Amino acid sequence: MLTFKKSNNQNNSSKYNWLADNLLGWILVVGAVLGWWAISQTISDIVMPGPIAVGKTLAELFFDPIFLDDIFISTVRVIGSVIISVLLGLMLALLPRKYPITEIIVQERIKPFLNSFPSVGWAILAVIWFGSSNFSVMFVQIAILTPFCLVNLTEGLKDLNQEVIEMGNSFSRNKYKIFFKITLPLLLPYIIAAIRIAYGVCWKIALVSELFGAEDGIGVIMLRAQTTANASMVFASCFAIVIIFMLGEKLIINPIAKLAEPK
Amino acid sequence: MDILDLAARRIKRRAAHIFTLAFIGIWAVYSAIVEAYVMPGPWPVLIRFFEFFSDMSFVMHMVWSLIHILTAMVISFFIGLLLAILPFYLSITKTAIDRRLTPFLNSYSGIGWTLLAVLWFGINDLTVVFAITMVLVPFTIINIREGLVQLDREIQEMSISFSRNKLKTFRLIIIPSLYPYLFASIRISFGVSWKVALTAELFGGNKGLGYLLNLARQDFDTPLILVVIIIIVIFVYSIERFFFKPIQNNLAAHNANI
Repeated sequence: MLTFKKSNNQNNSSKYNWLADNLLGWILVVGAVLGWWAISQTISDIVMPGPIAVGKTLAELFFDPIFLDDIFISTVRVIGSVIISVLLGLMLALLPRKYPITEIIVQERIKPFLNSFPSVGWAILAVIWFGSSNFSVMFVQIAILTPFCLVNLTEGLKDLNQEVIEMGNSFSRNKYKIFFKITLPLLLPYIIAAIRIAYGVCWKIALVSELFGAEDGIGVIMLRAQTTANASMVFASCFAIVIIFMLGEKLIINPIAKLAEPK
Repeated sequence: MDILDLAARRIKRRAAHIFTLAFIGIWAVYSAIVEAYVMPGPWPVLIRFFEFFSDMSFVMHMVWSLIHILTAMVISFFIGLLLAILPFYLSITKTAIDRRLTPFLNSYSGIGWTLLAVLWFGINDLTVVFAITMVLVPFTIINIREGLVQLDREIQEMSISFSRNKLKTFRLIIIPSLYPYLFASIRISFGVSWKVALTAELFGGNKGLGYLLNLARQDFDTPLILVVIIIIVIFVYSIERFFFKPIQNNLAAHNANI
C-alpha cells in the first residue's frame, strides 16, 4: 500500500515536472516573440520588421500563387537531389565491396575531397560550367549531399551481419538475389538515416545553391528581398524553409522510416 | 595472411595513385577543349597557387578568414556549453532548450543569418563572425547535450558522497567526463565553420577568402576560384587528418585504459 502511494506521488511529481517543462518551453516561445516585437517597435522596419509584418509576409508566401510556384520548384529540386545523392552514395559505398581494389580510391580520395569541398565553391563553379538552370542547382545540391550519404552508408556496410550474408551464400549463388533479399534489407536502416540527414542538409544548402544558379525558388526570393532591403521577406523566407522542412519530415520522411521498420 | 594483406593494400594504394593521375589527366585534356575561363588546366592553376602565396594581400585574406573562424568557434563554444549545461542544473529549462531553441537554430539557414546580419550590422567582420557563430551554436549544444545524457550516474553519485560543493563536482567530474564530447563539438565546428565562413564572407564581409572568391567570381577569374577552393580542401583535410584524428585516437586510447 505504502509503495503504491509512493509511486503515485512520484507520478504526480513527474507529471508536474513535465507540465512545468512544457510551460517554460512555450513561455520561451511567447517571450521570444514578445521581445522581438518590443525590439522591432524601437527600430526601423527595414532593419528589424516585427512579428506581425513577418507573419503577413509568410502568409503571402504560402498563398500567393507566384510565390507558391517558387516554393514548389525548390521542394521538387530538394526531393530530386536527395534521391539522386542517396543512390550515388550507395553506389560509391558498394563499389569497394564489389571491386576491393577501389577501396582507397573511394575512402581516401573521393570521400575526403568531396567532404572538404566548400559548398559556395560548387555554387560558383556550377554557374560558370552550366549557367543558370535547374540542372546547375541540383548539381550543387548533389555534390554537397553525396559525401554525407557515402559516410553513413559506409558505416552501415561495416556493421552488416556477415554471418547472415554467409548463410545467404550457402542457400543461393545468385548474387542479385542475395543483394536484394539480404544485403539491401539489412542496409535499410542506414539508407533511411542517409535520407534523413540528406534531407535536412539539403534544405539548409538549398538557399546557397539557388543564390547564383537559379532563376526561381526560395533562394531567389530571398536574394531579391535582400537587395531591395525587404527584411521581412528575408525573415519570412527563412521561416518558410523551417516550416516546409518540418512538414516534409513529418509527412514524407517519418512514414518512409515507419514503412522500413522490421515487422 | 599479413603478407597477403600488405600486398593487397599496396595494390589498392597503387590503384588510388593511378586514379589521382587519371583525374588530373582528364582535367588537363578537358581544359584544353573548353574555354580557359570555364575550366583552366592544372598547370595555370598550379602557377596561380604559388603566386597566391607570394602575394601578401592574398595571404592576409586567408589570415582574416582564420581569425573569423577562430573567433566564432570560441564564442559559439562557450554559448553552446552554457546552453547545454543549463538543463542539467535547471531541469525546468529542458523542453525550452532541447525542443524549442535547438531545433529552431538547427533548421534556420546560415545564409539567412548572413543576409539579416548584413541588414543589421552592415558589411564587416561582426556580420561574418555573427553568422558563423549562429550556425555553430546548435552543433555545440547537440554534442554537449549528448555527452551530458551519457554521463555515468554512479560517478556522479560518488562525487556527491565525497563533496557537496557543486562547483568542485563540475570542475573535477562533469567537465573531464565531457572531454570526448567537447572535443567532438570542436572538431565538427571546425569542419562546418570553413564552409559557412566562405558564404558569410562572400555576402557580408569585406575581407577573407570568401570575399576573394566573390571578387574572382565577378572578374571570371576561374583560376583564382579554383586556387581558393584547393587551399580550403588541403587545409581542412590536413587539419582533420594530422591534428584532430591523432588527438581523437589518443583520447579513445586514454578512455579505453580507464
